[in-house]
Amino acid sequence: MDLLDKYKKAWKNQPEDIIKRSTLDIYKLAQSRSSSIVKWIFIVGILEFVILNSLYFFVDMDEAYAEYEKLGLENFIFYSQIAAYGILFYFLAIFYLNYKRISTTDSTRTLMKKIIKTRKTVRNYVLFNLGYMALVMVVVTIASINTNFDHLSNKQIILIIFATLIATLLILAVLGLFYQLLYGFLLRKLKKNYKELATLSDED
Amino acid sequence: MLKDLENKFLSDFESNQNIVHKICRIYTTNRDAHNDLFQEITIQVWKNYPQFRGDSKFSTWMYRVALNTAISLYRKSTRKVKTQDFSDVAFKMKATDYDDTEEVQLKALYRAIHLLNDIDKALIFLYLEDKPYKEISATLGISNVNARVKMNRAKEKLKNILNP
Repeated sequence: MDLLDKYKKAWKNQPEDIIKRSTLDIYKLAQSRSSSIVKWIFIVGILEFVILNSLYFFVDMDEAYAEYEKLGLENFIFYSQIAAYGILFYFLAIFYLNYKRISTTDSTRTLMKKIIKTRKTVRNYVLFNLGYMALVMVVVTIASINTNFDHLSNKQIILIIFATLIATLLILAVLGLFYQLLYGFLLRKLKKNYKELATLSDED
Repeated sequence: MLKDLENKFLSDFESNQNIVHKICRIYTTNRDAHNDLFQEITIQVWKNYPQFRGDSKFSTWMYRVALNTAISLYRKSTRKVKTQDFSDVAFKMKATDYDDTEEVQLKALYRAIHLLNDIDKALIFLYLEDKPYKEISATLGISNVNARVKMNRAKEKLKNILNP
């Protein structure tokens, strides 16, 4: 340890930082706005909830409902939307509680765990939403084939199924990729550090 | 009441600010980033100050909040900053009796620490600050044995960088 001891002595004797903050400076700094990653995670999370739920405003709901009625799906849409709203509030509540539990006075490991957990709540909500959208798409396709069964040739039916499948996958892929970017952007460093700390701890 | 708390925070923080400066120097490589991180740590310490109960020393408590901020809360700003590497600037000493070789060693030490990952930085920092393993493991949230194992690895890495 002799090598490090030498450096440790240099460390001990290091002079104070050239920029010594006065009490007034510290007061001003303490009042300024935080730009911590936790704050960003909260903002981005709320934005995701808002964006996902405002997608409906871009669709003419009356027209869509008329379409659903034609297909005999009004009950399915009605109840599944009530369920979706219930699930939305459940996720929002969990997200907020997890966010509130994040505390900088925790140990490093616990803090990282809580941040990742909060972020995961939003990710799970997004996954749920994508699943829900896919389900609606599949149900609508099946219903429209059913309603128009007599007018469609086998070739047309296969084409519709194929087109729906491709469209669903494409939309999911684009959203998934976008999400991966956002998630990576916010959490890459944190996850790496968490892994660094957690590897050994899980062995004992 | 709030005024009292505020004054107590200001005097506690002011007298311990050198700890924060050292952490900023370890986790950043230029003055702008240093100041950014210093600001975020100040905010976090103040925000959490009401939770500080005084059953431990203020500095012990602050080590934790400051390191947590540096490791988990602080996002390196992506804007390119065209400032000189501050390790060349910050060490222009005022003290005349300062040992020249120690200045060189200190620079080399900071350069080496910059090459470590965030967790190893924290370990080495706590080692240099002479913190007992009990405190190190509590700060990082790992077991005592783990802290020792990780510390030895971090020291090895540091030694290899300092003396390849």
